[in-house]
Amino acid sequence: MEFAGSDRLRPTGRSLAAATALKILVAGGFGAGKTTLVGTISEIRPLHTEELLSDRGMGVDDISGVETKVTTTVALDFGRITIREDLWLYLFGTPGQDRFWFMWDELSLGALGAVVIADTRRLQDCFPAVDYFEQRSLPFVVAVNCFDGARRHDPAKVRRALGLDELTPVVMCDARNRASVKDVLTTLVTHAVGAAYQSVP
Amino acid sequence: MERHETVTDEDPGPLVRLFGLTGGRARPHGETFDLVAIVKTSRLPFEPAGLNPEHQTILSICRRPTPVADVAAQLGLPLNITRVLLGDLRSDGLVTIDPPQSADQTIDERTYREVLHGIRRL
Repeated sequence: MEFAGSDRLRPTGRSLAAATALKILVAGGFGAGKTTLVGTISEIRPLHTEELLSDRGMGVDDISGVETKVTTTVALDFGRITIREDLWLYLFGTPGQDRFWFMWDELSLGALGAVVIADTRRLQDCFPAVDYFEQRSLPFVVAVNCFDGARRHDPAKVRRALGLDELTPVVMCDARNRASVKDVLTTLVTHAVGAAYQSVP
Repeated sequence: MERHETVTDEDPGPLVRLFGLTGGRARPHGETFDLVAIVKTSRLPFEPAGLNPEHQTILSICRRPTPVADVAAQLGLPLNITRVLLGDLRSDGLVTIDPPQSADQTIDERTYREVLHGIRRL
């Protein structure tokens, strides 16, 4: 990574040899299947770590005038895929509650892209995630998790309901099925490549 | 002016032990580092003295370059505690912490292709 500033867009073979961990965020409403998706594809049992916080660290809730200093633990689950020695893909399940947006800021910084899991029974739950990634111009795909018994939705309808542009992929998926999750991730990476090279002059 | 604080005077229990590890500090020394910044144990001609077991475990894990999140998970400690410990080791010159490459700026097409193949291979 030394002298990285001199050649940022096209690193040489030498700088690529440095260990690199790429981040993919997995977002969606509570119970939409984030942890399941990460667990399905991770080569290791999803690692679990925690972040300790005080209310003041959260910063976004309207707690003006309230002097509480309750400490909260945010669980952060993540999985790993080793691409080759010293190149890893990390999947981070984003904390569900809106008040943890600041953690999303860190997670999305420099990230490759995001998967927004949509549960068709509660499609509105993924609106905040879609808004968030659109605002940050982070490439994302919407994965419609087809639960047993859930009505299968037409991707075009989901796209309309979420107000997505034509470029954002919408894929049907079963978060428990490895082939299906692989499909979601390859769609995301392909989409992210397109986005990255579109923005290069 | 940043005023993020994580130490609390309520609900002590495990927190006392955890912050005991960091001398009560909630933020690491020096520059902040990303969750997937790469930590590497420095090669030293001597055995560093005065380290607690957590520090030693980190040094042992990071003989192979390891992302911060993985260090925390392997230690079984919360991220911010892990970060304080890593910050200490960095200021003592015992580890280096390289910022991750930003996917949109520094990852070239070849890497993308490798990632795609890697996923398909699973």
